[in-house]
Amino acid sequence: MKRNRKIGLICSPGGHFTEILQLLEAFEGHPSFLITYKEKATWDRENTYYMRNLARSPIALIVGVLKILLIFLKERPDILFSTGSEIAIPSFYFGKFLFRTKLIYLECSAQVYQPSMTGRCVYPITDLFLVQWEPLLKRYGPKAKYMGGLI
Amino acid sequence: MGAVAQAIRPKGKIYGRAYMIFVTVGNHYQSFDRLIKKVDDIASRLPHEIVIQRGYSGYRPQHTKHFDFVPISTAVEYIKTSDLVISHAGIGTIILCKEYGIPLIIFPRRKKYGEHGTDHQMEIAQALEERKDVNIYMIYEEDQLEEKIVEVLKDKKKPLPTENVGKKTLIRIIREFIDKTGNDHAFSSQDLGFKKLGIGE
Repeated sequence: MKRNRKIGLICSPGGHFTEILQLLEAFEGHPSFLITYKEKATWDRENTYYMRNLARSPIALIVGVLKILLIFLKERPDILFSTGSEIAIPSFYFGKFLFRTKLIYLECSAQVYQPSMTGRCVYPITDLFLVQWEPLLKRYGPKAKYMGGLI
Repeated sequence: MGAVAQAIRPKGKIYGRAYMIFVTVGNHYQSFDRLIKKVDDIASRLPHEIVIQRGYSGYRPQHTKHFDFVPISTAVEYIKTSDLVISHAGIGTIILCKEYGIPLIIFPRRKKYGEHGTDHQMEIAQALEERKDVNIYMIYEEDQLEEKIVEVLKDKKKPLPTENVGKKTLIRIIREFIDKTGNDHAFSSQDLGFKKLGIGE
């Protein structure tokens, strides 16, 4: 029997956000919510939580991390999906160890030869780890998969 | 066509052969004045309608319309209705131009000019250049821009939106994973997570 899974989508604005918009079809039929940074370029969208850029200041980081925890307590995600950037790190670790969520990470197509810092941090705990350029495969372990890219 | 883009399109051919060009330098916090200054300089000579999304760049163009940011939904409208897009090697812009079949000139941000933390935009540009995508053009020096604009607009063909095979595959893989997770989990995360610990009720 197929069950509805609550999906949490996590990304910073810009290319990461556009990549998630491209893939929304994959989550159709499941309830979902999105966490991103409040910036001028962000799209106003339903079921979206906004926060300040975590990389901007230590206070923004602490407040943001707590906010992610509260959002997860409210939403109870079953699966988290992220295209980066650093906002995925606290989200994935909370998801994995406090909520037992399954984790899907798609390395942003901006990473051609070099792994991103976020990718390296979440690789060990991610269940489905995808990269968008083939040369990147040899920089990650055997778990990483290349299935084509969005650009 | 969205109302915004329709409003900014030149009415009739008041400039002769006027095309609509949208320039964007993305959401990155460092400025990319090198591109914006060059476009501004060129705009004084070309008949085209040019709109610039400056982002966090400090330079204010004199010869074009410009703004710092519009919401992404509006930016998508600008891209869809442009004849040409010029941008840094930003993934969002590349994806959208490919999706709508809009010609794109890419000018990567460089670390040495304080335009980005790394030179990964050079890697993106070079990887795309090797792949020889239709409708995507690379320049590495700002002096090449004017010539490239003229060249691209001269043999501008009807845009060809191409099927994005990578996107289809990624959607399928993610769906399969979600379906599998739905089936082989006996418990929901509510049963296993905080509820069990008696927290967050």
